[in-house]
Amino acid sequence: MDHRPFEDWLLENKKLNTDEKRQLNAHLRSCQTCSALAEVDLALKSVRLAEPSAGFTDRFQVRLEARKKALRQRNFWGFFVLTVSVVGLLAWACWPFIQSIVQSPVSMLASWLSSVVSIWASAEALFQGGRVILKVVPGFVPTYVWMILLLIAGGWSLLWVFSLMKLTKIPQGA
Amino acid sequence: MTDEMTWIIQAQHGEDEGFTFLVETYQKPVYNLCYRMLGEAEAAEDAAQETFLKAYQNINRYDRERPFPTWLLSIAAHYCIDRLRRKRFSSFSIDEDEEGQTELPDTSAPDPESEAVKKQTRERLQGCLQSLEPVDRAAVIMRYWQDCSEVEIAQALKLTVPAVKSRLHRARRLLADLWEEKPTRIHRERKPYGSPAF
Repeated sequence: MDHRPFEDWLLENKKLNTDEKRQLNAHLRSCQTCSALAEVDLALKSVRLAEPSAGFTDRFQVRLEARKKALRQRNFWGFFVLTVSVVGLLAWACWPFIQSIVQSPVSMLASWLSSVVSIWASAEALFQGGRVILKVVPGFVPTYVWMILLLIAGGWSLLWVFSLMKLTKIPQGA
Repeated sequence: MTDEMTWIIQAQHGEDEGFTFLVETYQKPVYNLCYRMLGEAEAAEDAAQETFLKAYQNINRYDRERPFPTWLLSIAAHYCIDRLRRKRFSSFSIDEDEEGQTELPDTSAPDPESEAVKKQTRERLQGCLQSLEPVDRAAVIMRYWQDCSEVEIAQALKLTVPAVKSRLHRARRLLADLWEEKPTRIHRERKPYGSPAF
């Protein structure tokens, strides 16, 4: 008989009937390859689980504590370095202002106040202009255009929400 | 709800006690996988510990629909595969007894000779396993020691089921070839102090 079916039976761990078992046994006596395959299969099935030495869980807890401590330290130093860097960067960027405040605080304060007043006046003007536009424009735009615009806005919002949900979904497994 | 699921939920809520139960329950299969993958007791202990640490850190990402042991073994297998790829381990030698995993024949056992034969089989098999490619080795270990189905192995190793089948076949053929070669080597390379009676 051909070598092939016996090797396939062994590799597929096929359930054999009595006649097939007899044929396989006869083949195993003459075929070294299939015999080795069967022997390895038997050895793999018979070798017991390797076990860790006693106290594995205790050692894990010690390691976990050490890892948590290291993480806390890393976080602390990370935060410290970040804070120092940001403060340093801000100080470097604001150095000319700090210098001018120290040298002439009154003129600096006056200049700031004039800037605030000018920003306030611009905002007021924009607000008034906006109010006028809002009063005039609805009269020119028909109702169905408003409905279309609302539908488009709703569609965009839904798309945005679904995209966000898809993108932020946490992948499973490690 | 099973005990296991209760522990998982506890662990996911940040209770270390729940995770400790999981470590207690699954330390043997995880350690075995690491030991069979890496072939050294010390490295296996380290890998098993790291596996549990990774599982602890990622426990909130565990999908409760999946079997927990498969998820855990998947972490262990990937860790060992990465480790093997990063660092080439010196090939396993049957003449070296490993620290912490020395398996001397038990002379107090009823049949020390059969114990010696079993030990030799274990060493011979471990030697053959080390010759397999890491992913194939992981598949064989999960199939034979962990009793995982081909589907579970595929999930754990991120392979397709036909790929797992083909890898298992290839690995078993290679193991059989090595199995045929090894006895000759073992007998030829007998330890100088080994009794010829064995």
